[in-house]
Amino acid sequence: MLSLRSVTKRYGTLTALDGLSLDLARGEFFGLLGPNGAGKSTTMSLIAGLRAPDSGTLTLDGAPLTAASSVARLSLGLVPQHVALYPELSADQNLRIFGELYGLRGADLRARIDAALEAVQLADRRREPVKNFSGGMARRLNLVAALLHRPKLLLCDEPTVGVDPQSRNAIFEYLERLNREGLTVIYSTHYMEEATRLCSRIGIIDHGKLHALGTLDELLARLPFEEEIRFPATPVTAPLAARLAVHGELTTENDTHRFRPHPSFKLSAFFALAESHDLPGRLFTSQRPTLEALFLHLTGRTLRE
Amino acid sequence: MHPVLVLVRKDFTNFFRNKAAVSLTFLVPFVMIWLFGLVFGVNRKDSGPTGIPIAVVNASTNPAAQTLIDALRAEKSFRVITTTDDAAQRPLTEADLRPLMQAAGARFRFAVVIPEDLISATQLGLHLKFFSNPRNEIETQTVNGLLQKTIFSHVPELIGQSLQARAKQFLGDTSFTRFNAALASAISTAFGGDRAEIERQIASGDFGFDQLRKAKPVDPTLRRLDTPPAAAGSNNPAPAATTTPAPAAMDVFSKIVRFETEQVVGANVKNPAATSLVGGWAIQFLLFAVSASAASLFRERDAGIFQRLLASPVTRAHILWSKFLYGVTLGLLQLVVLFLASSVLYGTEVLPHLGLLALVSVFAAAACTSFGMLLAAVSSSPEAASGLATFLIMFMSAIGGAWFPITFMPEFIQQFSKITLVYWSMEGFSAVLWAGQSFVQILPILGVLGAITAGVMSLAIWRFNRGTIFG
Repeated sequence: MLSLRSVTKRYGTLTALDGLSLDLARGEFFGLLGPNGAGKSTTMSLIAGLRAPDSGTLTLDGAPLTAASSVARLSLGLVPQHVALYPELSADQNLRIFGELYGLRGADLRARIDAALEAVQLADRRREPVKNFSGGMARRLNLVAALLHRPKLLLCDEPTVGVDPQSRNAIFEYLERLNREGLTVIYSTHYMEEATRLCSRIGIIDHGKLHALGTLDELLARLPFEEEIRFPATPVTAPLAARLAVHGELTTENDTHRFRPHPSFKLSAFFALAESHDLPGRLFTSQRPTLEALFLHLTGRTLRE
Repeated sequence: MHPVLVLVRKDFTNFFRNKAAVSLTFLVPFVMIWLFGLVFGVNRKDSGPTGIPIAVVNASTNPAAQTLIDALRAEKSFRVITTTDDAAQRPLTEADLRPLMQAAGARFRFAVVIPEDLISATQLGLHLKFFSNPRNEIETQTVNGLLQKTIFSHVPELIGQSLQARAKQFLGDTSFTRFNAALASAISTAFGGDRAEIERQIASGDFGFDQLRKAKPVDPTLRRLDTPPAAAGSNNPAPAATTTPAPAAMDVFSKIVRFETEQVVGANVKNPAATSLVGGWAIQFLLFAVSASAASLFRERDAGIFQRLLASPVTRAHILWSKFLYGVTLGLLQLVVLFLASSVLYGTEVLPHLGLLALVSVFAAAACTSFGMLLAAVSSSPEAASGLATFLIMFMSAIGGAWFPITFMPEFIQQFSKITLVYWSMEGFSAVLWAGQSFVQILPILGVLGAITAGVMSLAIWRFNRGTIFG
C-alpha cells in the first residue's frame, strides 16, 4: 500500500531522514519507535505531503505521494502531535469544519460527526468549546477529526502525549477497532509500551535511520539474550554483580541491576552462581526483554534520551 | 463549499465566539471615536478650542483696555484669569506671570499684558505683551491668532486711538487740534451732524467703526473666510475649524479687507471636522484589527492546525487567501460600523454615499489586510509581529495624515506620506464623504490602493513560501 524508497530529508546541515526505505501492507498497524528527534515526525510529514523529500520516492497504492497530490490527501488522515483544533469552537463545530474541508456535507457529515463523537465518548460534550476539555478529551477529538473522511491510511504522530491513562486506553481501543475494520495505521511513539500493545510491525528509528524492522517477536529475537534478570543493587549482591559482567550485559538503574546473559550462559548457571553467593532466589526476577532493551542494544542509548 | 470559504466561515465563527475580539474590533473603536470626538471638540454643535486658560494683566489706564478684557472674556476660546488663586485674589501683575507659568501644574500657559503704554505716541499700533509656555509651535500660533483676532475685532477703536496719538506726536498739539477741528467741520458741512461731537469722536479715535458694525454686508450671498458654511438644506450651520467672532465686530474688517471666499470642495458637508477625521481614525483601528488577526496565523501554526489543514485537500494558497478574504470582510464590516457610528455621533453624512464608501472600504481593508499578512510573513513570532505592527501603524498613521493634516508637515514627509496606505485610504474616504466624488473620479485612488494590496500581498506570499509559518 505505502512504499518509501531511499527517502532522505535534510534541514540545513541536519539530516533528519537518511535513505529510509519502508513498505506497508493494507491493514497493518505499523509502529515507528524512536526517541525525540529520531526522524519520526519528519517521516510522518513526508507521507502526509507536508514536506517534500530531498531525494527518494514515496508512493501510495502505486501513485506518487506529493504535496500537490490531492487524491492521495483524501486517502490520508493525520493526527498531529499537537491538539490541532480550534479551542474557541465546540467539538461539533471543529468536526464540521474538518469534515467540510474533505467535501463532506449535509446528513452524511452529520451522521459521521455523531458516530465519531459517540465513538470517543464525547457526544454529551459536543456543544462545549474545546478549550474547556481536559487533555484526554481534546486528544480523543483530535483523533476523530482525522477520521471523518474515512481515510485508508491513518498517520498518528505521538497522539497520546500528555494523556491520562483512561483516555489513552480509550484511544488505543478505538484505534484497535478501526484497525480490525481494515484501517491501515502508522503510529509514531517513543513509548515502547504503546508500540508493544498496538503494533503488528515496528520500525526502530534513530538519527534518521531505520535500525530494525519487523514484528515484536522478530525484533526481540535480534537480541543476544532471551531473558533479563533483575536484582537489587546492594552491598550483598555486589560480589555477584562483579562476576556477572563476563557472562553478559549488566546495567544498573535506580538501585536495580539488570542482567542480560549471553546465550551461552544458561539460567541454571546463573542461579547456581547466585546460590554460591548465598543469595536467596526471591531477590531475582526474570522477564522477557523489551523494545527498550532492543533499542539500547541497537543504538547504545535509551528511548527517552 | 470551496475550502477557502470553509476556512473564512471558520474564522468568522471563531471571531464571533470570542467576545473580547468582537468588543475590541467594534465596541472599543466606537467608544474611542466618541472619546476622540470629545477631546477634539468634534460634535454636532460646535468645534474649535474652548476655555484655553489665559492670564490677563491690565497695567493701562486706557478705558479701552477694560473693553479688551471684556472681549477676551466673551471669547469662548479663552478662560480669562486676572487674579491670583490665593485667598487674597489680588489682580495679577506682570511680575507674577513668569513664576506662575513656570510652576509645575501651572494654571495657565499663556498670558497677555496690557502695558501702561498700550497706545504709544512714538509708535503706530498697539503695544501688548504675550507670554507663553507652549507645548508646541502650532499651539502658540493658534492662541496668538485667536488673541489678535479678538483684539482687532472687538476693540477696533484702539487702532484709531493709536493713529491719533501718532498724529498728535507728529503734528504737535496745535496743528493736531486744528487738523481735527478742520476735519470735523468738513464732515459736518458735507454730511451733517454736530461739529463738536464729530471732533470729539475723531479725537477719541472713533472713526465710525460702530457705524460699520451696524452696516449690512455689501453682498449677503458672499461668505467671509472666517465664517462657517451653511449646510445645504440644513438650518444648522456647520461648525468651523476656528472660533467665530461676533458677526458685528467682524463686519468692521469685512469692510476694510473684503475677502470673497468660496469653498470649492465640501462646502455642503455636515460636520466637516468629523468627516475628515473619522477616516483617519477608522483606518488606524482597522490596521490594529487586521494585524491582530494576522497573529492568528501564528496561533494556528503553533497549535499544529496548519499541519492538519495541509494534510487535507487544503493548500497554502487556500489558507492565505482565506485569511485575506476574512481580513477584507472583517475590515469592511468594521469600517462600515465606524462610519455609521460617526453618522450617529457627529452627523457625518454616510448613508447617501454608502455604496462608494463601501467600495473604498473594501480597497482600504484589502490594503490593510495585506499589510497584516506581510507582518505575519516577516515576523518570527506573534510578539515580534505585534511589536512591529504597533511601530508601523503609528508611523504610517502619523505621516499618512491620520493624526494631523499633512499640509502642516515638512515637504519631504508630505511626499513620503503618499507611499502609505493610510494616506490613500484617507484620500478615498475624503473623496467620497468630503468631495462627494463619483465612481469614475475615485478610480485612481482605488487603483493605488489596489496596487498597494497587490504589491504587499505578493511580497507576503513570497515570504510565506520561504518562512517558517507553514513549518
